[in-house]
Amino acid sequence: MTTNNKVKVAFFDFASCEGCQLTIVDALQTHLDLLDMVEIVQFREAMTEKGEDYVIAFVEGSCTRKCDEERLFKIREQAALVVALGACAHTGGVNALKNVQPSLQDVREYVYGDKADWYETYPTRPISAVIDVDAFIPGCPIDRGEFVKVVKNVLLGKTPGIPDYPICVECKLKENVCLLLEGQPCLGPVTRAGCGAICPTYGEGCEGCRGLIPHPNENAMKDVLDEAGLKLEEIMSRFTMYNAYQKEQIETVEERI
Amino acid sequence: MNLKVLDKRAIAPLVEALMDDYRVVGPQAKGSKFTFEAVTDPANLRFDYDTTILPPKKVLLPPQERLATFTLQEDLQVKTVLETEPTVLLGVHTCDLKAIQLLDEVFSKDFPDAQYLAQREQTILISLECLSPCDEHSFCKDMGTLTASEGSDIHLTEIDSAYIVDATTEAGEELLARYATVRDATEADMQKLNKELGAKWPKFNYQLDFETAKLPSMLEAAFEHPLWNDLGDRCLACGSCTNVCPTCYCFNVYDEVDMLLTKGTRSRNWDSCQLDEFARVAGGENFREARAARQRHRLMRKGKYIYEKFDELGCVGCGRCIRTCTAKISIVESFNTIHNGKK
Repeated sequence: MTTNNKVKVAFFDFASCEGCQLTIVDALQTHLDLLDMVEIVQFREAMTEKGEDYVIAFVEGSCTRKCDEERLFKIREQAALVVALGACAHTGGVNALKNVQPSLQDVREYVYGDKADWYETYPTRPISAVIDVDAFIPGCPIDRGEFVKVVKNVLLGKTPGIPDYPICVECKLKENVCLLLEGQPCLGPVTRAGCGAICPTYGEGCEGCRGLIPHPNENAMKDVLDEAGLKLEEIMSRFTMYNAYQKEQIETVEERI
Repeated sequence: MNLKVLDKRAIAPLVEALMDDYRVVGPQAKGSKFTFEAVTDPANLRFDYDTTILPPKKVLLPPQERLATFTLQEDLQVKTVLETEPTVLLGVHTCDLKAIQLLDEVFSKDFPDAQYLAQREQTILISLECLSPCDEHSFCKDMGTLTASEGSDIHLTEIDSAYIVDATTEAGEELLARYATVRDATEADMQKLNKELGAKWPKFNYQLDFETAKLPSMLEAAFEHPLWNDLGDRCLACGSCTNVCPTCYCFNVYDEVDMLLTKGTRSRNWDSCQLDEFARVAGGENFREARAARQRHRLMRKGKYIYEKFDELGCVGCGRCIRTCTAKISIVESFNTIHNGKK
């Protein structure tokens, strides 16, 4: 279709609300120059054309059905780079809540009623559990500034530049009054930064949508939430809201010196 | 010494006048806490503040700062960025003042830091004597920062409805002469001053169970102390203790480029030895991986390493790291634990 030097990119969606792709449509309005660097060949939410010659694939949503796997394999085969877009693709997101319910059949019936058997489903996984992923953009939804930064870094051949440190860093540098110290629950100390601590800045404790930092001190976090007056059940539900899948994967091996 | 008296009612007009020529930064309320902010209305200044979330070092070493701009064209051009402005830093407590003196050393020795020194050069410091402890966490009496005889341009001590004003530098004297309405201190003022200074001393408690001169050798012997693993178990590695520390100065340098990849900016932001990635190097090796090792490093910096390099302890006893820690890790308790030989 074109003979320019732009990198061809495509957007795909799996189990998700498509809010991250909406954020990209939004970002394209404020960062028009993104289109100087890339050519979008497929983006179901924003255009009709369906080009298959993409080099970078942005994938929103988690894998929740057997038939999702085939599509993911195909994307992986075509794309030089696969980027997980948003919490559902990155960590499984809220979709993974069903994994911690006692019965998947009950979940299906709760959602689809007497048509439950019409709909295929199995435990939710982030796409990295199905195919190799080269980069991820966390958040529910993603941060548009971070999306632009990752695109730039990837095009430059750099690492994506997603922070490995917790929300507390950004929150402290904004000089927000600490919600935990005020007795309010917040997952800031174990959640990956990059959102500018947006929820605590507006007085809401962090719910962990950006996933856990590498090597989170979960036990200490539980102690602190306990200190903030939360019941065990509330602590666990806060932990599993966005990180039910990740939580199953965390190794609890403690490093010692 | 030629002490002056500044009536409290003369503060607002003084600050108004200063605001014409300077960015004036002083303590203001933020929710239930206080922060140093640029003054837009002198009525918001709170000289009765206890402590601030971030220390006033943020004025001299901003959490994020541009260092240089560059072009990615064939002829690489790099330009140093100096975004400094004439500033009056108002109401600095003596613990934070001592910390600024240490930062002055850090950023002028070995590798003079263009940005810090340029802002420092344009900053007039007005310090404020504490007449009572901010809370139970400060241990300024132990660290010898309960008062200050130097380091600022003007030092203020409250007496009833006025402040005793001590201009200790030429810049301080010039500022007073140009902007302030003051009168000479009388014998009666001096008596009040001495009374206040005498009365404050017993209000502050010693918190450490030992003389701070012992800290470096004590820590030297404590490298394998069981305390570190205990702290590692409790620490969330959130970096808050170092971000609120008035003497911590580590920063990370990073580049950002424009969308067309033709030009970019080199910036720095505060970094923290408590963060997982701080000591991660190329190839993925992390030479200070355990939280216990990172906590040990922090306390070693405060009580030993900084002392070995600059002849001053790296802690001023402000207590911010204790206040901010959601896991309730206390540098005072930690030092006492090591001293008392208990776990």
